[in-house]
Amino acid sequence: MTVYETDVPGVGKKFEVEIGGDERLVVLLHHDGKREVFHRPDSDTDAERLFTLDGRLAREVGAILQGAYFQPVETDNVGVPLGGAIIEWLDVGEGSPVVDKTLAESGVRTETGVSVIAIQRGAETVPNPDPTETIAAGDILVTLGTREEQSAAGSLVSDDG
Amino acid sequence: MAELLLELGVAVAAIALAGALAGRIGLSVIPAYIVAGLLLGPSQPLAPVGVTLPVVAYGEVIQLLAELGIVFLLFFLGLEFSVDQLLRDRRKITAVGLIDFAVNFGIGAAIGLAFGWTLLETLFLAGLVYISSSAIVTKSLIETGWIANDESAPILGTLVFEDILIAVYLALLAAVANGGSLREAGVSVGVAFLFLGGLSAVAWYGSAWFERLFTTGSDELFVLRVVGLTTLVAGAALALGVSEAVAAFFFGTGLSQTSHVERIERLVSPARDLFAAVFFFAIGLSTDLTLLAGVAVLLVVAVVTTTAGKLVSGVLSGRVYGLDRRRSLRVGLGLVPRGEFSLVLVALAAGVGTGRLGSVLPAFAVGYVLVMSVVGSLLVARADAITDAIAAARG
Repeated sequence: MTVYETDVPGVGKKFEVEIGGDERLVVLLHHDGKREVFHRPDSDTDAERLFTLDGRLAREVGAILQGAYFQPVETDNVGVPLGGAIIEWLDVGEGSPVVDKTLAESGVRTETGVSVIAIQRGAETVPNPDPTETIAAGDILVTLGTREEQSAAGSLVSDDG
Repeated sequence: MAELLLELGVAVAAIALAGALAGRIGLSVIPAYIVAGLLLGPSQPLAPVGVTLPVVAYGEVIQLLAELGIVFLLFFLGLEFSVDQLLRDRRKITAVGLIDFAVNFGIGAAIGLAFGWTLLETLFLAGLVYISSSAIVTKSLIETGWIANDESAPILGTLVFEDILIAVYLALLAAVANGGSLREAGVSVGVAFLFLGGLSAVAWYGSAWFERLFTTGSDELFVLRVVGLTTLVAGAALALGVSEAVAAFFFGTGLSQTSHVERIERLVSPARDLFAAVFFFAIGLSTDLTLLAGVAVLLVVAVVTTTAGKLVSGVLSGRVYGLDRRRSLRVGLGLVPRGEFSLVLVALAAGVGTGRLGSVLPAFAVGYVLVMSVVGSLLVARADAITDAIAAARG
């Protein structure tokens, strides 16, 4: 891969990156941090402006391209805030101590303080379940509670709880 | 004081308005600033149709700000001047630069001689029609996206060559124009080159010193040091009879060796933009419109021949870089706009003020830059239609 660097007076620097054959990616780096990116399929065709980024965005996108910046959405911490309380989705694994117990027996409410507002079971959802509803492996408990309560419920339901 | 402040307010507000209008119709701001100056200037072009605008006098404040505009235009030219690039592509840049110079400076010289101008007047005229506007050309390169194509290399190469040539040319002309007799002129040239030689030596060997001098955490102190020292150098040059613009250029190249370049560009370019806008405005202010009619023939001849000149030199330059016909023609079209440097040259001529230099040339320059900056923008916008038409005509 060859990169050609040119100074553009009054503007900044231009980088041309060979990306196979005559095809080039052209990056214009303005002094104010703005980046314009052009793509040129071959030397006979005119370049097409792909996008423009400001300095901060360009650095983040650059890091993603580089593979250095990857911040996955943390599924363990998905929560919908409701004032002081949040909603969480707790997976009930095969080895969870609450499997085959009713909601009342499981103590999810009495021991941790969260309310189970729904149970997702495969494609169907059991809204506002009765205390007599039996929890099965593979269920997802939708719980409402404070952060501490959610944390306690999480450790109660988890496999090694 | 109130009167001065009000006048400056009117001037800057008019510049702002002109710039906004130019942006709306997609034209370069430089002709718009000049027109704003013409309209508010003492010649009152709108008075016959019953419109009387507040008149801004070409007073000391405007003159000083305009002078700073010249200084900072050239300072940034030096700052952004890439010695590396010049050395890396020196053969091609020299080739296209010489083609451009021979064709376009040649046309200017021929026009001057044909109209019976003196040697000095012809030299000013030739320089004025020769040099393209870096500001307008680079801006249109980015807007059209040509910057990412192959034609940008010969265009930028030509600009680099023109930039250094105009610095040398300004130095020579300033020295020659200030001295009366040949001997006095010789002494002026000597002083100029001693001063500039010293300045280049300081610029070249003093970069470590500049590096330390401008190192400060405070943006405010940084701007003050850059603006203060640049103005001081320019003023000292002028006091010695050397072109202040050229001194600022060399000072800029000195700073281009340091790590401060980007910070200067970020913090000081707003000051340059303000001063330069006042400079273009002041050019309009100081133009006597009644003289424009007198230069109409010259203007038409110059516009037609020098537009053709840039097309010819551009096509040849494109060939040097191995471009196809369409891209080569674009090189020529892209380089048509003239602007800030033509006006810097004419500001120097007006300062000399003898013969045609003081009267005819400034009026001509304003008309010429107005037409060429607009024609240039239009040619670039219609480039594809033009190349298609030429291809069709060739069958």
